[in-house]
Amino acid sequence: MSSTKRYWKDLGELHQQPEAIKGRENEFPQDLAIDQVLGNSSLTGASTGRRDFLKFLGFGIGAATLAACETPVIKSIPYVTKPEDITPGVANWYASTFYDGEDFASILVKTREGRPIHIKGNPRFGINRNPALAKGSINARMNSSVLSLYDGARLTGPVAKGSETATTWADADKSIAAGIAAAAGKRMVILSNTVISPSTQAAIAAFKAKNPTAEHVQYDVISYSGVTNANLKSFGKRVFPSYDFTKADVVVSVDADFLSNWGSTSENTWQYASRRNPDLAMNRHFQFEARMSMTGANADVRVPLKISELPKAVVALHAHVSGNSAGADAAMMKATEGAAKALMASKGRSVVVSGSNNEGVQVLVNSINSILGNYGSTIDLDTHTHFKQGDDAAVAQLVKDMNAGSVGALFIAGVNPAYSLPNAAAFKSGLAKVGLSVSFSGYADETASLCSWICPDNHYLESWNDFHPKVGQYALAQPAIRPLFNTRQWQESLLVWSGSTSNYYEHIRSVWQANMANRGPEMGLFEDNWNTAVHNGVLTAPVTPAALPAVFAGDVAAASVAAAKASSGAGEFELALYTTEAIGSGQHANNPWLQEMPDPLTKITWDNYVCMAPADVEKLGLNMYLGEQAPASLVTVKAGNNEITLPVVPTPGQRAGTIAIALGYGRGENGEKVGKAACVTDHNGDFKPVGKNAYPFTTSADGGVNYDVLNVTVTSAGGTYPVAITQTHLTAMDRHSVVKETSVATYKAGDKAAYNHPHTLGVHEDVNGDGVINTQDRKPVAEFDLWQEHPVEGVGHRWGLSIDLNGCIGCGACITACNSENNIAVVGKDEVRRSREMHWLRIDRYYSSATTKESAKKDGLGKIDMYLKMEVPEESPTVMFMPVMCQHCNHAPCETVCPVAATTHSNEGLNQMAYNRCIGTRYCANNCPYKVRRFNWFNYVSEKFGEVNPAWDDLGRMVLNPDVVVRGRGVIEKCSMCVQSIQAGKLAAKKAGTPVKDGSIETACSAACGTGAIVFGDLNDKKSKVRGLADSDRSYHMLEEIGVKPNVNYLVKVRNTEEAAAHHA
Amino acid sequence: MVVPSKMLGMPLVARISERSPGLFNISLSVFLFLFATVAFAQPDGEKLFKGNCASCHKPDKDMTGPALKGAKARWEGKGDIHAWVKNSSAYLKTGNPYATELFAKWNKSVMTAQTLTDEEIDAVLAYADAYVPPVPKGPDPTTVTPGGETSNWPWLVVIALLLLVVGLSLSGVKRSLNNAVREAEGKEPEPDMSFGQRLRNWAWHNKAAASILGLFIVVFLILKLWDAAFVIGVYGGDEVPHYKPEQPILFNHTLHAGKADKGNLAINCQYCHSSAEKSKHAGIPSTNVCMNCHSAVNEGRTPEGTKEIAKIYAAVGWDGKAYTGKPEPVKWVKVHNLPDHAYFNHQQHVSVGKLECQECHGPIDEKMDVAEQWAPLTMGWCIDCHNTKDVKMAGNGYYDEIMARLEDTDMGHEELKKYLEDEKISVKELGGWECAKCHY
Repeated sequence: MSSTKRYWKDLGELHQQPEAIKGRENEFPQDLAIDQVLGNSSLTGASTGRRDFLKFLGFGIGAATLAACETPVIKSIPYVTKPEDITPGVANWYASTFYDGEDFASILVKTREGRPIHIKGNPRFGINRNPALAKGSINARMNSSVLSLYDGARLTGPVAKGSETATTWADADKSIAAGIAAAAGKRMVILSNTVISPSTQAAIAAFKAKNPTAEHVQYDVISYSGVTNANLKSFGKRVFPSYDFTKADVVVSVDADFLSNWGSTSENTWQYASRRNPDLAMNRHFQFEARMSMTGANADVRVPLKISELPKAVVALHAHVSGNSAGADAAMMKATEGAAKALMASKGRSVVVSGSNNEGVQVLVNSINSILGNYGSTIDLDTHTHFKQGDDAAVAQLVKDMNAGSVGALFIAGVNPAYSLPNAAAFKSGLAKVGLSVSFSGYADETASLCSWICPDNHYLESWNDFHPKVGQYALAQPAIRPLFNTRQWQESLLVWSGSTSNYYEHIRSVWQANMANRGPEMGLFEDNWNTAVHNGVLTAPVTPAALPAVFAGDVAAASVAAAKASSGAGEFELALYTTEAIGSGQHANNPWLQEMPDPLTKITWDNYVCMAPADVEKLGLNMYLGEQAPASLVTVKAGNNEITLPVVPTPGQRAGTIAIALGYGRGENGEKVGKAACVTDHNGDFKPVGKNAYPFTTSADGGVNYDVLNVTVTSAGGTYPVAITQTHLTAMDRHSVVKETSVATYKAGDKAAYNHPHTLGVHEDVNGDGVINTQDRKPVAEFDLWQEHPVEGVGHRWGLSIDLNGCIGCGACITACNSENNIAVVGKDEVRRSREMHWLRIDRYYSSATTKESAKKDGLGKIDMYLKMEVPEESPTVMFMPVMCQHCNHAPCETVCPVAATTHSNEGLNQMAYNRCIGTRYCANNCPYKVRRFNWFNYVSEKFGEVNPAWDDLGRMVLNPDVVVRGRGVIEKCSMCVQSIQAGKLAAKKAGTPVKDGSIETACSAACGTGAIVFGDLNDKKSKVRGLADSDRSYHMLEEIGVKPNVNYLVKVRNTEEAAAHHA
Repeated sequence: MVVPSKMLGMPLVARISERSPGLFNISLSVFLFLFATVAFAQPDGEKLFKGNCASCHKPDKDMTGPALKGAKARWEGKGDIHAWVKNSSAYLKTGNPYATELFAKWNKSVMTAQTLTDEEIDAVLAYADAYVPPVPKGPDPTTVTPGGETSNWPWLVVIALLLLVVGLSLSGVKRSLNNAVREAEGKEPEPDMSFGQRLRNWAWHNKAAASILGLFIVVFLILKLWDAAFVIGVYGGDEVPHYKPEQPILFNHTLHAGKADKGNLAINCQYCHSSAEKSKHAGIPSTNVCMNCHSAVNEGRTPEGTKEIAKIYAAVGWDGKAYTGKPEPVKWVKVHNLPDHAYFNHQQHVSVGKLECQECHGPIDEKMDVAEQWAPLTMGWCIDCHNTKDVKMAGNGYYDEIMARLEDTDMGHEELKKYLEDEKISVKELGGWECAKCHY
């Protein structure tokens, strides 16, 4: 079947803008960086003459030669007493746990010579473990968290307000003890994120016992009060349930970005992806949302709705499911019809989730799930999670009490209310009235800098901690390094102030011992359990299953009224406040790896912005086509007294009439030192926060925080703002066979040519034997060779990657894992804007029009309507994510053009890059059809990039992987397929005297991919998984027709849609 | 002493220091002395002493336990030394006052019970009483210091200068004679030209010869420069003096790792460099490894050696009886420095390649009192070996699989035939010359 579907990377390309065409044709759109060097005015005024110059030159050469003759003296200092388990040069892995109040995951921490340098998901234990793949699922924020350990802005000890330098803990303890004594009788509040640690709770209890007026208030930066309160009303339990997407045949999400930022994402992702294999029972995913979320991008059916329509959609869905359509909106009834039908057909095997924080909406969702019988199957309230216990009402009351002067002492742990509260200003004024305010933040951040004391907490990689994420699930975090600074765990500080003398480690052990004693003999010996927990990072306790699933007892009528209220008052523009995959709620905004990770959809780095439907952008006369030389227009968004001026990014898929702004940006607005990359020098030379803070737009309503603002005005602010967008860089668009996509029906029909047709070339011989030589005489591309065959097939190893486009959800954990493993330079916004990002691995995002000739025919559209619809396809595009790294072509075009043989082929199928041989001609990059080669335009490990590049300072350098070199200026680099891991894996096999076991070697990206989309292995191993995938029907090579024979293959994306459609771009 | 043929390629300095007989003489004399004194004792007191007592006692000095010299005399009339040695804690229970006093004096540490007969105990004590410490010798005057190697060329320079002076004088004489002849013949004497003028004059008249000579000189200089450029940054190999930095402790590799038949201790290299078989780094032993032996061996064979051992104690924080907890790590100077862009893994070469340490580090156990860089560690040197060494495939399942794959496919079969042209499979043939094997 021929192609009618068009794919494009950005609007410029879709509409054939000259900029986009130019950009496509130039590998490096930038001219040489000469202007930057010669533009330096101090050079033109130089008075050095030619002869002087020659003298300096001569002296310089002589001096350099002499200096080079000197023997280097390098000191080596061995351990005095070597720790038993450390061998220099050998990595140690420790099981630990990541929990920051938002995300939870069991992880493995890789340490080298005592330094944590890499994090991956725990492949053997934990709730984020995908048992089928034996992989732990984690996101980019988790594997990047190792870098924040080495942030130079971390506090080095306790600091009193107004003091620049850290003091001793003895001083701090004395002063704080006095403060606590003075606050006796008044409210004393420990304000923290959701505490899921039994030992922390015990420490808080100890503090409460010492100070009877003390209480604990939990505050989730991104509130889930709507969900938990709805569960209280519906089932009598104020909990966040456990979801099991592996059991869901139908997933309906109303604005819940559950793959990126809603609920327990480290579980959601692998569970969801495990049901996206078209060879097994594939789930069907409906998404209703206003902005194009990462989850929406993965949906089979995505319905863009206005924000004010989303509650109505839930009401309509409820009406469909319950059969009572009173009060439901007719248009919404129609929009949700398909989803409802699918749900009704999969009772007990479906799940409905909503991202709304409105209690009424969530009660309706509970009712829908209850009617569908999903409780006890896909939703579990018995072994519920302990996440998201935050109580917005209690936080609001606290702010009131602070302002009333009735709070004597406030202890703040893990949260930053002065930055993130809807009423941050009231919080700040109240804080001034609190006698003793103590922040446990590791940085002098927005809140901490206003507190009377900052008692910096350890980084989590320096700490012992325990967690109780779910009923029956326990986890331990163990330190992977001694505290770098004079910091102290906040729990230990509480213990000290409660008069305890035991440290937190002993405290955890005693709490566990007591808890196990309570459970009786079923748990066995304490020491055994403890050692198991330390080794595995996880301990599972037996759970008695509930006899019956919970019975829904919510008030549907009242909920419908509340939901209707959430729909009212819509204005010209509706604003959705969301969190991005990279930055989240903003607590990791100081992490350079995360700031430089392109957003999954917009592919923008180092900024937040206003996402707007292209139609609206056009209507407002703003810049539609963004690029290096084409900055974004600035607009002012106003709601009540709040206003914010941000660049506008036209975002296909955004519902017209709605806009979206990411939270979590604009950290350190008042000059607080919140960490390395939170503030950088911008294009005007000002040292400013990255992005702007949108939290003031959130509102407190009905005891919960509301992230939707239904009535905002958007006006052009005049002026433009450059955005660093990787979307149009280095891509391979406008060629056939880049991305292939089909429907499950076509796939199941079994005709490979219909969805994954082979590429052939016409030849001048009678191939088909019909007696004439014509265009029908074609041979497969594989039979044509310009070069001699490389001896890789069957010879030794042949390493390869297989990338399942169905499994890739676009999260970008592979990008940051690659950064960490391969010492990839962070280059900063300005360089990214100039297409000079250094990422070895990128995720290409392709939009495509949902309207095709076939679908138009099916919908009964006339020709004119059809073409009209195809002309404005970006209203509801489908999206594909495609991770692209070096394809390691066996007939690599880059290798043949290198004048110095710096890039060559190995007999294991790797395209190798010898940096020290490279002279920087960049011929290889120009000749690469996949545009995966990166050039070091500058010495990125230099002061110029010190603001963003962690490798610049001594502390940040500790994160570097010692097995991989740091590349210097003037050389090309690219994906090596983690050759260091391959070599290490081979060596381990040689030492053991066994063949390399499939799965024993992982690249950083494949190890980070919890959904199993990226599979690495030996293609010459006939039994390997990657070989099986490479030989499968869905397998194809990107740009197969050019015959470069890559060792990376892709698997055709299969969408679970009804129509039988065959697409290839 | 016989110089092994392997050494003939050694630099001069190494050969000279090999001839140094000092240490050997010392150990030999000690041995002879001891033999003479205790050879007739029945049973062998020395052997018993070394086997049972030496980890805590010395004959003539206090260590963990008291010096054994005179112990028999000290006990005389105060108690039963035999019973004390056999089981001191049992003997203490008898309430013997001297035993109690000794126990208190030595930090109440119980001596391990010994299963020795009375005769054997007597033999040990007799050995201790007869023990005379070996006379320490100063440095052997015949030892040539490493600097001695450079003593040849100044002489050559002096001789060259002398020849030059002679040559110039002779040419002056020749000119005078020539002028005298010319004068005699009634011709004008040759104009008095400087050396430079005459050289130019000669060149003007012999253009061809001058050009060729000039060309030779230029080519010679360029070649010399070219050669010199090749050894920039090279600190080992045959062409340059080896890098042999001064170390904070004069650790003697030959003494520790050298062959036992030469009086050395013959400790396996990997006893100290234990991570060579499991890590990319061979590792500098941590100081606690030194203490495995040196907690007992607190004296060197020379006073200098004892001083060096004292440095270990300072480093590890050992006051002779206990650890003080105040270590001062040793700052060794790294001898073998690879550039950052080259990845080298000891494990691969030691555990899989089964190379001897000496193949790259030279005769470190034979003639390196102080460690030096023996091999040039250049890329040429590395890949030379990769080209010639065959892979140790026998009995290794990993290589069995590789071979099976080669035999399984046509392309593999072709490759295998090529590999086996020289009847072995070299490292190079399995990819040992590929860039990304060492550079990433």
